[in-house]
Amino acid sequence: MKLPRGRLDKSRVVTDLRDTLADVLDRELTGYAVFESQETLLLDGEGRGVITFTDGVPVLAYHTGTDRGGPPALADLAVPGPYHVSLYALDAADLESAHGAGELQVPPGMPAERLGGDPALADSTRRAAPDERLSAMGDGDAAVPGDGTAEQSAVEAFLDDAEKIEAIKQQARSEARERAQEWDF
Amino acid sequence: MVEVFAVASGKGGTGKTTSTVALGMALSDRYDVTVVDADTGMANLLFHAGLSDAETTLHDVLADDAPVEAATYDRFGLTVVPCGTSLDGFRDADPDRLRDVVATLAKDTDIILLDSPPALDSRTAVLPIVLADRIVVVLQPTIPAISDGLKVQEYATTYDTDVAGLLFNKVRESESIEQVSEKTERYFDGPTLASVPESERAREARRAGRPLLAHAPECEAASAYREAAESLTVRNGAAADAADRFQSAVIPESL
Repeated sequence: MKLPRGRLDKSRVVTDLRDTLADVLDRELTGYAVFESQETLLLDGEGRGVITFTDGVPVLAYHTGTDRGGPPALADLAVPGPYHVSLYALDAADLESAHGAGELQVPPGMPAERLGGDPALADSTRRAAPDERLSAMGDGDAAVPGDGTAEQSAVEAFLDDAEKIEAIKQQARSEARERAQEWDF
Repeated sequence: MVEVFAVASGKGGTGKTTSTVALGMALSDRYDVTVVDADTGMANLLFHAGLSDAETTLHDVLADDAPVEAATYDRFGLTVVPCGTSLDGFRDADPDRLRDVVATLAKDTDIILLDSPPALDSRTAVLPIVLADRIVVVLQPTIPAISDGLKVQEYATTYDTDVAGLLFNKVRESESIEQVSEKTERYFDGPTLASVPESERAREARRAGRPLLAHAPECEAASAYREAAESLTVRNGAAADAADRFQSAVIPESL
């Protein structure tokens, strides 16, 4: 995915991607976000995720580490935080050619569900999305508010990835041991 | 007999405080229950328990300005220790005094529920998990909530605190939670205690400053909390050494 660099809007470490997605939606940002998990030891933890937005509503997702786009890129990004997040603002015209890449598209509410873990924010995002985005995505999103079937299968797919979960647990244990000394418990 | 539970979640917005109070009220049918707002940086238990005008709070106790008895309130059949919301109060509080607070409260109650911060990023945030005997992990059936919940469990077990169980909260009707909860249980050291449906009653209760079980005791969510309380087997600790236990609660030496 090629994007113009844009104007840096914010750059910070966040523990919950929900807050970033809510902020982008509130401010109706047009541009993109670059996410980098701080947990580089995790599987798929290498590389960065990119999500583009039009008026605060997510359009494309891509993961540089796995070279996957669309919903699979969100699965690659779904590892525990904290994350370093940079937001860039662009003019809508600058995103036009990138947004033509249909295979990278994600349903509007999906990042809020899978990265933010907030079904209510996903509902608000879907309400803010243009009608053609909702109808175009077909069964990929919980297009009908309250229809969580797609989300449930994403959660189940996550839970079926025993290796990834073991990596999350192992990382947490080693972090807990290191911090016990740092915090002088 | 006393057992201390930290009600924890790695992620904010899972309804942890609502769950702490609801679980406390449901357990109070059988036990003497004390609920403590251990989220000293972002306290909100007071708003759930009708204590927003409480004069003395945990902040005063942690600043050594008041004894813990002055910050305990009897509400809804529970003993409640609310925390203040001011930044000054947070700044002046010494989180380490929480050990003494728990030790003092432990002399005179059956169960202590610590409403814990939804984070693992500081000593203050993790201390309630270290002090507790077991944790109850509050999850939503979403990928971030479950993966953050896993982190909380691993921190807890690394610090020798066990897992009492999982509480799925804000479960939407469309989600058939059984498969998700069954798969989730494979990775956690405790069972699913209950699945609490997303509830308009819970939001109303919060706005009214009343616990869910007082506001809408007959609703489906309230029944789910009672089910959770019933499936929680409280362990008998030895009352005599309770004070020692919490004052000396430390990380195992093997680390």
